[in-house]
Amino acid sequence: MLDAIKSYLNSGMTPGEYGSQFWATIYIVAITLGVSLSVIAMNWLERKILAHMQIRLGPMRVGPHGLMQPFADALKLLIKEDIIPANADKLVFWTAPVVVTMTAFTTFLVVPFGRTHAVTDMNIGVLFMLGISSLGVLGIIMAGWSSNSHYPLMGSLRSSAQMVSYEIAMGLAIVCAVLMTSLQTGTGTLSMIGIVEAQNAQGYWFIFKFFPLGFIAFMVFAIAMIAETNRAPFDLPEAESELVAGFHTEYSGFRWSLFFLAEYSAMLAVSSIAVTLWLGGWLRPFANTLSGPTWDLAFSLIPGLSFLVMAAGTLLGTIRMPKIVQMRAQAIGLGVFGVLLALVGLVMLLPGVRERVQDIFWFVAKVACFMYLYIWYRGTFPRYRFDQLMKVGWKVLLPMGLGVLILTAVVGLRQELLAAIVGGAR
Amino acid sequence: MSLSPLLRKVFLVDLLKGLSVTFNNQSEKERITEQYPLERPVVFERYRGQPRLNVNPDTGESLCIVCNLCALACPEQLIVVKGERNPVTKRKEVVSWTYDLSRCMFCGLCEEACSTDALELTQDYEMALYSRDGMVLDQAALEHGQEPVRYAK
Repeated sequence: MLDAIKSYLNSGMTPGEYGSQFWATIYIVAITLGVSLSVIAMNWLERKILAHMQIRLGPMRVGPHGLMQPFADALKLLIKEDIIPANADKLVFWTAPVVVTMTAFTTFLVVPFGRTHAVTDMNIGVLFMLGISSLGVLGIIMAGWSSNSHYPLMGSLRSSAQMVSYEIAMGLAIVCAVLMTSLQTGTGTLSMIGIVEAQNAQGYWFIFKFFPLGFIAFMVFAIAMIAETNRAPFDLPEAESELVAGFHTEYSGFRWSLFFLAEYSAMLAVSSIAVTLWLGGWLRPFANTLSGPTWDLAFSLIPGLSFLVMAAGTLLGTIRMPKIVQMRAQAIGLGVFGVLLALVGLVMLLPGVRERVQDIFWFVAKVACFMYLYIWYRGTFPRYRFDQLMKVGWKVLLPMGLGVLILTAVVGLRQELLAAIVGGAR
Repeated sequence: MSLSPLLRKVFLVDLLKGLSVTFNNQSEKERITEQYPLERPVVFERYRGQPRLNVNPDTGESLCIVCNLCALACPEQLIVVKGERNPVTKRKEVVSWTYDLSRCMFCGLCEEACSTDALELTQDYEMALYSRDGMVLDQAALEHGQEPVRYAK
């Protein structure tokens, strides 16, 4: 086993030559586990960060700094009574959470975590992702309809109206980015890997392209994706003060946790679209300005070092734990967690590993920034009223998306346009 | 719409301000929540909590002279003092002293009325009990104080 790993590390091979069924299977399993794990992590992080923003502490008792809280929650959800309302449409009620979760996970098929780290390289990757993630709204409508209750129905109606109206702005912003791949280099592509390669070839991320056009398109997408995933401040479908819990009011236990899983993995999915289209996917920062072997080495050390910094922070937290008998087990737990982080960091510093890991690291780090933004927005902004939501969608984002699309085309083809005008004048 | 509110809207100034507020709130310095059993809050000196009957530290005798002023001052009439004159020392001595904590509103009038500083409301705030049974304090409980129930796993 060890020899096999060693020979693989020395071979200079990269995994995931897309198309290989073996690697695709491995990546599907790894992504499923990874996404589930990051949903668990997000659960904890969201509670902690929101609490800190509200000058609270958040979970502190279950495990050190509440680290075991998501596991306790998951256990609670699993052993909860599974209730199906008496007059519910049972088949649809059963399938709705499955549909939502399936669509949320399927989008990760085309997400490139690195140059070679993807399940598949679909030539219509962006289109596929948009299509699949739009199917999620079907599951939400199914959940709302089959519950046979007022709140879920109204929640799902709101959700579908919101998703349909924001998808247009989102689509326009995406077309903008796709347009940018075809300009200058002339290789327009819808493939997620192709889009990142185009950013690499053109020398900068699309967020900086045709400044501020790329940035505006990115902002349109960034706002639309929050509405698309039904998160605060656009979380009207699950507005607690109005609709109890929206479309999943009647759901409990495991089925509810499937909705939770789907919501967070949809957040991860749209964030990874944003990262791929505008923030250079797996590309490291300053790939062109700070190039050369020295900088390559320096940037390839960052993943391992960042894990070591996290480990140092954790160990510092262990030292700062209250020194009393009741907290001893928690302090030991936190210490073990810190040592594990340090070990992961050290493994990621190994030369064979760090070259293969850095792509994934940069991608995940960018997605993590988006996840933090989601939590930050939730901690800051009050919920929009429904008419305000529609106004933002139709009257602000849609014209902005259209305008940016036209301007991008004009700026991108300025030479040809000028030539045409000059030719026409002659 | 004049120019400056429009610019504020376009550049999302107010939203960014809100974001900066919540971001700065994350620092440890801003934290208000206490982890109660581990961190005990320090209450003010004039906080009125658990009542106590003081004793003379040298002799261990009660400072109470059974003047009944506290019982008269108490708006809830929850203090009942019974005393008897000691024929030898010619002083009144406590026979029974009860303080019904369940009815007390910690107004501190008894403390004010006490002429010998015998009765005092201390800074102990952990007086919660599971039933009303232990809430009528007698002289011994008042003099030695109640042990607060310590939190343990």
